[in-house]
Amino acid sequence: MLSRTDAKAAGSKIPAGRLTLTDFDLTLPALGLLVLFFVVPVAILLARSVSEPVPGFGNYAELLGSSTYLRIFANTFLVSGLVTFVSLLIGFPVAWALAVMPSRFASVVFAILLLSMWTNLLARTYAWMVLLQRTGVINKVLIGLGLIDKPLPLVNNLTGVTIGMTYIMLPFIILPLYGVIRKIDPAILQAAALCGANRWQSLVRVLLPLAMPGMAAGALMVFVMSLGYFVTPALLGGTANMMLAELIAQFVQSLVNWGMGGAAALVLLVVTLALYAVQLRFFGTDRMGGR
Amino acid sequence: MSKPFLQIRGIRKEYGPVTAVHDVNLDVAQGEFLTFLGPSGSGKSTTLYILAGFEDPTRGDIVLNGQSLLSTPSHKRNIGMVFQRYTLFPHLSVGENIAFPLKVRRLPKAEIDAKVRDMLKLVRLEGFEDRKPAQMSGGQQQRVALARALAYDPPLLLMDEPLSALDKKLREEIQHEIRRIHQQTEVTILYVTHDQEEALRLSDRIAVFSKGVIDQIGTGPELYANPATRFVAEFIGDSDFLPCDLVTAANGRADIALAGTTVIPNVPLHGKPVVGGKAALMLRPERLRLTRSAPGGSTAVPVTVSDITFLGNNIHVATQTAKGDALAVRLPFGHEAISSLNRGDRVWLGFDPASAHVFC
Ligand SMILES: Nc1ncnc2c1ncn2[C@@H]1O[C@H](COP(=O)(O)OP(=O)(O)OP(=O)(O)O)[C@@H](O)[C@H]1O
Ligand SMILES: [Mg+2]
Repeated sequence: MLSRTDAKAAGSKIPAGRLTLTDFDLTLPALGLLVLFFVVPVAILLARSVSEPVPGFGNYAELLGSSTYLRIFANTFLVSGLVTFVSLLIGFPVAWALAVMPSRFASVVFAILLLSMWTNLLARTYAWMVLLQRTGVINKVLIGLGLIDKPLPLVNNLTGVTIGMTYIMLPFIILPLYGVIRKIDPAILQAAALCGANRWQSLVRVLLPLAMPGMAAGALMVFVMSLGYFVTPALLGGTANMMLAELIAQFVQSLVNWGMGGAAALVLLVVTLALYAVQLRFFGTDRMGGR
Repeated sequence: MSKPFLQIRGIRKEYGPVTAVHDVNLDVAQGEFLTFLGPSGSGKSTTLYILAGFEDPTRGDIVLNGQSLLSTPSHKRNIGMVFQRYTLFPHLSVGENIAFPLKVRRLPKAEIDAKVRDMLKLVRLEGFEDRKPAQMSGGQQQRVALARALAYDPPLLLMDEPLSALDKKLREEIQHEIRRIHQQTEVTILYVTHDQEEALRLSDRIAVFSKGVIDQIGTGPELYANPATRFVAEFIGDSDFLPCDLVTAANGRADIALAGTTVIPNVPLHGKPVVGGKAALMLRPERLRLTRSAPGGSTAVPVTVSDITFLGNNIHVATQTAKGDALAVRLPFGHEAISSLNRGDRVWLGFDPASAHVFC
């Protein structure tokens, strides 16, 4: 009893130099930096988008009113959607295989995945350029095999962007999906089989629904990252399918139009936040476990 | 007897150098409740998994209703199973879980709904239809799993330690439910457990597994009264073992010599006897008679009391023979021999040789 009172008394005036979790004043410098380098620039951009060249929402009206710009928005969503879809299509089987293969094989595949993630983005994108161009390895092989007569247009178009970006985004689908599939008890699939479900029924009625939170998390991450992607669309895409990030770069770098650039960037930010809100609503952090 | 309903013929399963199941043979009658009882790693689950089609046997055959099952994949075997771990589909409600096997069989909706209602009633979970498995207790989840496994009227139901994650009281409650459901549905059940009490309470017959072999198959009373091996004697009921010398052996009976007593004639004998060799005499603690002085005319061993433990409705008395071998006695509470019994007292333990066993 006595010792408890003592402890309480001691707890009321913490001796100097002892750290407690509520001493968050230590984090203030970091918070200050965050405000200075993240919140302030965004605020400035917002301010410039409604004040240049003349005060008002003229930039937004122009951006959302012109068919040229709307086409770029549409193309941005198309590319992001396609990349997300193809990534899921490839990522699901890979994540599944990783979850069930012996761990020494899985660690080799993980090493390859991580190595590719750590390789310089430009280097990877140029590598795809080399592979996909008219005289590139892929076209040469296909012609050599007699499958095609003329080289396929694989680069500077939608195909090129989709291939290049899917390759870059795959790990972001595979890793969360792998985590979710690993947590599924194999006995649940055995139970499904004894209940009479064939492989296809087990996949569609059991495995896919249980993997859904992982798919949603990965898909959203890839979709949002794709929306603002610059390097790969700029190098592998054509002029006909420009993406939003390229448009922003053009406004700021070539046209020195900070007003329009800021407006486009903020539209992108709002869309991203809206998608994040949707994800929280349906797959809130507490629902991510799959239970 | 007509053709057995289920035949396990010489099933063997090897995992690399490990042999999990050694040539197991077993016939099961229709409607029977048969339990695989044995310690951890004795091959019970492996045998069950071979029946379920999750594992292929290295050799041997499984015949159900006269037809080999081995070439039929799990999802076409039409066998029900309840697992040790909770295997309800977490994204489906209780009702949808029970409907699952019927939906994959593409039965009409009205029929499915009626069956789900029947099954919920069978396991006494009416009104829980819309709950998710995560909102149910472990015992309730296993009852739903039972309902799901019985929904498609399987001829055979496998249960692999379905109650091992539950506490004792709940376990007993669901054991009752399982018995009732077995009587009501007349489904043939193969049940796995390492709990002898559970096996005795539930089963028509018990197959005692030891190191991948079935040591003995029989009803509970048969195994208790007539254990074929020392392992079975140790596993079913409590047992005392005393080292003894084999004097003569013939026709499943032996005369033995125990230190401190004369030759004890006509004890049931198991194993391969070597006359003049060593053997073990098995006695049941609850069948020993404790007396203060040597009982005239009956076989008895002199011992010293080393400990007395009160266990509720009976009392456990630990004793030692002159040679230092431990011998436990179990007496009902209030037995007159207990009242003045103290540690260090010299007493006699009498027994009937016909109810003892010798294992070589
Ligand atoms: N996949 C496997 N690979 C290698 N050995 C295995 C495998 N499955 C089981 N075994 C071995 O086979 C033996 C029998 O295992 P089994 O699971 O059938 O035992 P059990 O009687 O069900 O035990 P428990 O009561 O612990 O469930 C064990 O020695 C086990 O280590
Ligand atoms: Mg087991």
